[in-house]
Amino acid sequence: MADPQPPQPVARIAQQDEPDLVARAVAGERAAFGILVERYAGVARRVARAVLGNAEDADDAAQDAMLSALVKLDQYDARRPFGPWLLRIVANAATDRRRRRSVRRVEPLDVGLTAGGPRPDTTAERRALNQRLREALAELPERRRLAVVLFDVEGYSHGEIAAILGIPEGTVRSEVFHARRRLRVLLADWKEEA
Amino acid sequence: MKDPLSFDHRPDLVLGKALREALDPGDAPVFIARVLAHAEHVRVASWDVVLARWARTGVAAALVVALAAGYFVGRATAASPRPTVSDVLIAPPAHPAEVEVVLASVIGNN
Repeated sequence: MADPQPPQPVARIAQQDEPDLVARAVAGERAAFGILVERYAGVARRVARAVLGNAEDADDAAQDAMLSALVKLDQYDARRPFGPWLLRIVANAATDRRRRRSVRRVEPLDVGLTAGGPRPDTTAERRALNQRLREALAELPERRRLAVVLFDVEGYSHGEIAAILGIPEGTVRSEVFHARRRLRVLLADWKEEA
Repeated sequence: MKDPLSFDHRPDLVLGKALREALDPGDAPVFIARVLAHAEHVRVASWDVVLARWARTGVAAALVVALAAGYFVGRATAASPRPTVSDVLIAPPAHPAEVEVVLASVIGNN
């Protein structure tokens, strides 16, 4: 596998113009809100999917969260970064939706899959790996899931994740550590190929 | 990817990339268009909306306070009815005549 490109986490590319965009959105300028939606759609959907597993549910939760954020924009403190504020709403929306969902749609994880399995050389195998990763992620406690996604996928700092999840920074470090330990086992074969 | 037991404070690029691919739902333009279409029907909480919300709360609070004040004032009035004219005439004086005044009056009469 080729060297992985550094992720393009939203936290790293957050623009200085966000307080201005928020102010314009509050004033009724929908184009400004559109820029924020475009900027955060990806991370919001991934975070929601990390909680819910199901892509459709995740999109519904991410959409609800963004509309909720639009209504609450006047409560946003422009001195703080916008991303963590929005993602807290996203995480809460996804968690609420998961609680309301009576039937868990994600199939239970096949333990054998986490022990490695065939190397994903083809597209089909890569798809299978993605499925296995989602299942492995679904097995983690929700907070652990969110912590590792926000840290390793989205590039947020431990402090920012602590603010998003409303937990101490030390707990975030611990959650990321335990999540990685579990997920890295699954990726062990892939690592050797890389 | 790093040692599974290491406690690294930097993002794991390999794991991050794999998870990103696994979680990426695709169809970003469709999702964005959907959100923006729904946003058209959402009323932003602008300053006039916030003021209106507070105004409604303020009017409601003022009504409650006025009702409570009226109730207590009414009770206080009922507990101490106004004295009639005969009550005032029969009642002893609030300030009895002082000794010096009485003596001066007696001496003066003599």
